[in-house]
Parts: sequence; structure tokens; C-alpha cells
Amino acid sequence: MEILNVRNLGKVYKAAVSHEALSNINLSINEGEFVGIMGPSGSGKTTLLNMISTIDRPTSGEISIGGKDPFRLSQDQLAMFRRRELGFVFQSFNLLNTLTVKENILLPLALDGVDLDEMNRRVGVLAEKLGITSILDKRTYEISGGQAQRTAVARAMIHVPKLVLADEPTGNLDSKSARDVMEIMDRRNKEDKVTMLLVTHDPVAASYCNRVVFIKDGQLYNEITYGDSQSAFYQKIINVLSLLGGSGHEFSPVRH
Amino acid sequence: MNFRQFAINNVLRSKRTYIAHFLSSAFSVMIFFTYGLLSFHPQLKDGLVSSSGTLSMLGTMGMTVSQYIVFVFSFFFLLYSVGAFIKVRKKEFGILMILGMSRKQLNRMLFIENILIGAAAIIAGMGIGMLFSKLILLISAKLMAVDQGLPFYFPLQALVMTAVAYAVLFLLIALFSSLMLRKGTLLALVKAEESPKPQPKASPWLAVLAVFLIAAGYGMVMVFAILQIFNLLLLLGGVVLVITGTYFLFTQFSVYFMRYLQKRERFFFRKTNLLTVSELLYRIKDNAVMFFLVSVISASAFTGIGTTLAIGDPGLSAMENPYAYTYSMYDEDEDKGNRHLDIIREELKKGGLDYKEAEVTPIFTDNGVKLIKLSEYNGLIQSLGYPAETLGDLEGILTPGTVSEKNSYRIDGPLSDQFEVLNGKTSEIVKVLKAETFIAVPESYGETLVVSDRLYEDALQAQQDQEYGYAAYHTFYVQDWKNTGDVSRSILERFNENEDNSYYLKSLYFDWKNAQQQNGILLMVSGLVGIVFFTFAASFVYFRLYADLARDEQQYRMIAKVGLSKKELGIIITKQLVIMFFLPMLIALIHSGVAFVALQQLVDFSIVGHSLKIFIFFLSIQIMYFFITRWRYLERLNKMIQ
Repeated sequence: MEILNVRNLGKVYKAAVSHEALSNINLSINEGEFVGIMGPSGSGKTTLLNMISTIDRPTSGEISIGGKDPFRLSQDQLAMFRRRELGFVFQSFNLLNTLTVKENILLPLALDGVDLDEMNRRVGVLAEKLGITSILDKRTYEISGGQAQRTAVARAMIHVPKLVLADEPTGNLDSKSARDVMEIMDRRNKEDKVTMLLVTHDPVAASYCNRVVFIKDGQLYNEITYGDSQSAFYQKIINVLSLLGGSGHEFSPVRH
Repeated sequence: MNFRQFAINNVLRSKRTYIAHFLSSAFSVMIFFTYGLLSFHPQLKDGLVSSSGTLSMLGTMGMTVSQYIVFVFSFFFLLYSVGAFIKVRKKEFGILMILGMSRKQLNRMLFIENILIGAAAIIAGMGIGMLFSKLILLISAKLMAVDQGLPFYFPLQALVMTAVAYAVLFLLIALFSSLMLRKGTLLALVKAEESPKPQPKASPWLAVLAVFLIAAGYGMVMVFAILQIFNLLLLLGGVVLVITGTYFLFTQFSVYFMRYLQKRERFFFRKTNLLTVSELLYRIKDNAVMFFLVSVISASAFTGIGTTLAIGDPGLSAMENPYAYTYSMYDEDEDKGNRHLDIIREELKKGGLDYKEAEVTPIFTDNGVKLIKLSEYNGLIQSLGYPAETLGDLEGILTPGTVSEKNSYRIDGPLSDQFEVLNGKTSEIVKVLKAETFIAVPESYGETLVVSDRLYEDALQAQQDQEYGYAAYHTFYVQDWKNTGDVSRSILERFNENEDNSYYLKSLYFDWKNAQQQNGILLMVSGLVGIVFFTFAASFVYFRLYADLARDEQQYRMIAKVGLSKKELGIIITKQLVIMFFLPMLIALIHSGVAFVALQQLVDFSIVGHSLKIFIFFLSIQIMYFFITRWRYLERLNKMIQ
């Protein structure tokens, strides 16, 4: 089943000098897929993610998530839609520091008025899976970056959304924590069939995906799929990145 | 955790951010309650107990008006600070909305948060007010010169009124806070913190204009006071110019000045100046409007309170009337009058006070010129210690009756150099020799002409068949009049023994006491309002610091790694705080200093003492705020950096 469908998407930033950030993007993601978007800085990958995550509006084209066009929804319906159908993981975690880890995780459920027992049950199960049971009652400034990002992943999945969007989830983490977070996301994808879209700079993170889409100068450049092994896939990613040119040297050719 | 708990946690777990906001709210509630406590007091209910009717009315009115002022100011201040909170929390709101919080829920969250803080502030403010109510009543009784004191009572009405008024206020604030978030897309909310602040810019023309406007405004006020051109437009224009100039001073001149400092590398690149100046540039630009408001309002508060204090100065009363006692009587009451005069003399002697007596009977000519006999005038001025005057037959001296007349004589001299005096059918022209510049004639309003005894008698003769007589004023000059309190009281007691209240005695001592009482009320009224004001202003600075704390922590941690000692950090922070706390104060001080200099031109006695008292009082409050904030802030930063 198709979860995300992007058709002829374009975005122009109007200013003194108008700038076309994206043009004619087509992308389709099926249920249970784990898709990565890569591209050099300024290629438009974050713009694309912002539009899929309904934070920004496209200037042309259409997006449909689970068969619905989020831009046709009213403000309240959109809030409902985000709350139930989407999950977000950010580079800078974006946890609320007035809340404990547990409270952060169950926030989407609390907003939706879910029954207390149900909330506790779901948090318990998910925290166990993500290995954060021991820090549930801590405040956000008492935990490490890796723990914070795992908390954010839990928050993005607690309400069983149709699509989880992750924007550079490993960008602020050391390589060990980054791998932990990616493995957790990978396992949720494989075991719970969570559909995920990941924007990243990091070829290691991207190598956990089923498929990686490359963008350059606001247009689709290439697309590669997971082959035999993660290390082979990693090498393929590195190859495409060096073909992308210019900023190929941003990425180290050797796996860390 | 349900939704309500979530909102409550938001407040309870960011105590540090909300503490200043909460404390100033609670303080404003307390002051409002204090006014209520006084105006509902059983003994003060029907107007303040006071020696004069006007005064008690003024006192009660003053209480009510300041209560309103405190309320209205609180509203705007709280609105401003809630607005600032919302600005700081934009990113948080953005995250919440991405997580699927609807606008309705966001509004509800803000509403619950504001109501929570409001309810806590009301309870805390009234609680502290109740706790100190006995003390407040004691101090107020003393300040307002209520001799019998104000006993404690249970101020149910004041409690109810305060609770209701502030419940409405916080409800309104809560509603407004939801409105404030209307505009702005989600993307802008999320990106709110990330976009780097642009370099503040300032126009050199506007910077120069700021200085020019303030100078022009000062000039106009000075022209008003020194040249005594009493044109309200001139005064108003001056004030408007100064206010406009102050606005540009903070928004343009300050930025321009900092940029100038940055260009002077010899200064800018020396030690911590580099950090201090570049940080200050942003701090000042961000807070320019707040600084502007604080300095304009403080300047008005200073000037207002200083003027109030001057009203109670013994110099003011003595300036209008030099005589310790003025007793007026008509010919037909001569018996009673002489008896009363004897009483005054006896009591003054009993009190061991030296006095000089004089008598004067001003008359009006047929064409309405007020005349005084030279011999009587000489009696008056000699009792005051001036040498006697001599006059030719058709010569006269103008003598002032009011302070403003005196000032105009001093500056412009006599307005006309001759007067026509109509005596029945004959008309004579009197040449004005000079206009005197001290007040010698009691109870005299309007131009008064001292003429030769012959002319005076002729004028009186011409009105012989008139039905009404003229009042004679007996004056008693006492050098040491401030000590005539007891004497005055026993004089009045003896006058009243006969239950004949139809006498007229003016006592300088009582006039002065009245002015003092009036001053006590005004001082209390303006003082409390002023203190509320300063509390809000200081809590703004505190709040702004905490709003930037996260950024500062990051920045100073980074700089500390490069090599910044704890001591140097202290220097940077202290310099910035000194400017944030005292720059608006300094500007206010200069503004009101000019106002006091102008005021000084209008009165004879020195008002420097009063002005200084006010400055020092508010300066010490501000210094206290400064040290508390500096201590808390540095401690926090140091802990973070280690």
C-alpha cells in the first residue's frame, strides 16, 4: 500500500531574487519502507521534508499521505492529522525541557486525550524496546544526547503513525550513539513495519535504509536500493555521493 | 499526565523563568490591596481624617487614583511580559504544533498557565499584604498625620475587591496571550531561534537628532522657567521634544555609539571590551523600547515625587506669607479683636518667643486700585527687618501679594510706571518708583500700591459715606515660627472658649502642617506607585536576562574554553548589568534634574535636598535589585561553565 505520494512538487522562495528550491519532484513510499533522502547542502532535501511534514507549503504539485492531501485540511484537521498520522524526529531532539522523558514520549497521546492506562501501557512497551526504561523519570537535561534522541524516536512512534519523518537524526550524535539510534529505527521498521523517511548527510545512517533517493539542485538525481549487505549498500552510497561532485569530499570514503 | 497537568508542569518546572514575572505580579497585588486596606478602613472610610475638608477629599481621591494607576500599569506591564514570554517560547510552540497540538489546545494551555500564575500571585500578594497590614497601618497613620492612629481590622472588602479586580486582570491577560500567537506560520515558529540576529543598524542622522531634540526640549523648559513665559504650549512642547529625543537616544544613538566604539580598535580590542561591547550592542537594541519607557516613567516619577516633597517644605509656606499670625478684624468687632490680640501676645510671651507686631488696612479707590499707607507699610517691612521707605506726595511703590507676582516684579519690574487714583471727583496720577520683590502685605491678591499717607487718607475720606468698612490685618512676625505649634494650639483653645467662632486667624504653623499632611498623602500615593514601577522595571531586566540565558550559557561556555577566567566573566557580566540597570536611571536622573533646576527658578527656597532624597531612595532600591540579579545570574553561569 502506498503511504506517501509526491507528484510534480515544486517550491519557489519569492524574494527580491526568487529562488527555486525544488522543482518537479516525484516520490512514492510504500507501507513498511525505510527511505533515505541524501544530497549536498542546499540541494533542497530539508525543504522537501518540511513540505512532507506539513510545516511548509509547496508552490506547485501535490502531496498525499495515506491517501489524504494535508494541504486541503483545515487548521484543526491538520493538527489532528499531525497528531495521528505523522511522527517526527529532529536533529536537535526538540524535547520539551519542562517535561520528563516519559511525559515527552506520551505527549502526542495526552494531546489526543488517550486513556491513562493505555498511555502507560504503550510507553512501557516502547521504552522497553528502545532501552530507555531506566531514564523514564529523568528530566531532559539529565540524559545524554543518544538517550535524548531515543526518547524523540519513542515520541515519534508512540501513537503508531502512518509515517515517521526524521531530519538528520544522527547529526548531533557521536558515532556510537548514532549507530544505536539507527539500529533502533531499523528494528522498528523491520519488526513493527513502521514506514520511515529519513533525511541525512551521514552515509552510515543512510545505509540502514531500504532505498536512498539523491537530490541535487532541487531535482531528483538518482535512486539506489539496498542490495546484499549493509556494507555493500554503504559503498554504493559513497559512490553516488562522489558522483554528485562538488561536495563529495564532505563524506569520508571509509566506514567509521 | 493529562492535558491540564501538562500545562501546570510547564509553569512549575520553569520556576526560574517565571519567578520575576510572578513576584512583580504578587507585588502589584499587594500594593493594590494596601490601597484598599486604607480606603476601606473604618476610620478613613468617610474621607481621611484631616484638619481640612479639601485635604481629606484630596487624600481619598489620591488613594483611589493611585489604585487605578497601579492597576492599569500592572495590566500593561504584565501584558508586555507575557508577550515577551511568548516570543521566547515560539520554538516550543512550534514543536508542540508539529506534534499535533491544535490552536485550540495551544490557547487552552496558555490560558491555564496564565491563570495558574495569576491565582498564585493573587493569593501570595494578598497573603503578604495581610501579614504586614498592621505595619502598613502604623506607617500610614504616621505618614498621613492621623494622630489617633489606625487600629487593625479584618479587611474583608479590600480582600474581595483585590481578588475580583486581579481575577479580571489575569483573565484578560490570559485571553490576550492567546491572541498574541495568532500570526506566524509554523515554519517561522520552528525556525524562530535558529535565524541569527542581524547586526543592529542605526542612522547617524537620527542619532544626532536625538541629542538635538533633547537639548531643544531642555532649552524650552528652561526658557519657560527662567524667562517666566508661562505658556503651557512651551512647557508641553519641551516635554514632548525630550520624550521623542529619549526614544531616539535609546533606539538610534546608543547603537550608533556602540558601533563607533567597535570601530576604535585601540579601545575595542583591549581585553574584555571586545566581548562587553558587542554583547551590549544587542542587549541595548533588544531592550531599547523598554529602556525608553523605564526612563521616561522614572523621570516623571522623580519629578512628581520631588515636587510633592517640596510642597511640604516650610520654605514654601513662609514664602507666601512671612507672618506667624495674621489676625483680621473690622471696626465693629474691635472689642473682641483686641481681646484676641491680647491673647496672642500673652501666649507668645508665655512661649518665650520674640515677636514684632504691625497693622495694615488696605483700601480700594473708586477705580479699583488697592492702596496701602506708607506709615503702615513701613511698620510691616520694619517688623520683617527691612529699612523704612520714604515717598513723595504723588509717588508709590508696587508691592507683591503672591509668589508669581513677586517673580514677575523681579524679572520685568513694574508693568506700568504710573497709576491713576480716583478720589471721589478728583483724579491724581501716582508715579511708580519701584516694584518691591518680597512679600510684605498679608492676605493681598492683585496689585497693591503703597502711597503717601496724605493720598491714602484722601481716598478713604472720599468713601466716608460707604456702608462697608475695610478689614485691618494685625501681623505678628516671629523669627522662630516653626516652634509656634504649642502656642498656636493654646491660642485657638482660648479663642474657642467663648464659643464665638467668628474670628479670622491665619497661623503659618498650621498652614505648614496642612501642607505637610497633604504632602504625606501625596508622598504615599506617588511613592507606592513609583515603587511598583521600579519593581516591574527591574523584573523586566531580570526576565530579559533569563530569556537569553540559554544562548549566553552556550556562548560563555565556548569562550571559557578559549580561555576566559571566572573573574573576567564577572567583569563582562557586571559591566553589562550596570548599563542595563542604571542607564535608564541615569537618563531619568538627568531629565528630572533639569526639571528640578527649572522648578528651582520658580520658588525661593532650595529644593536640592528633596531631589537628592528621591534620587538616593530609588538608587538604593535599584542597587539592591542589581546585586541580587548579578549574584543569581553569575552563579548560574559559573555553574554551567564548569
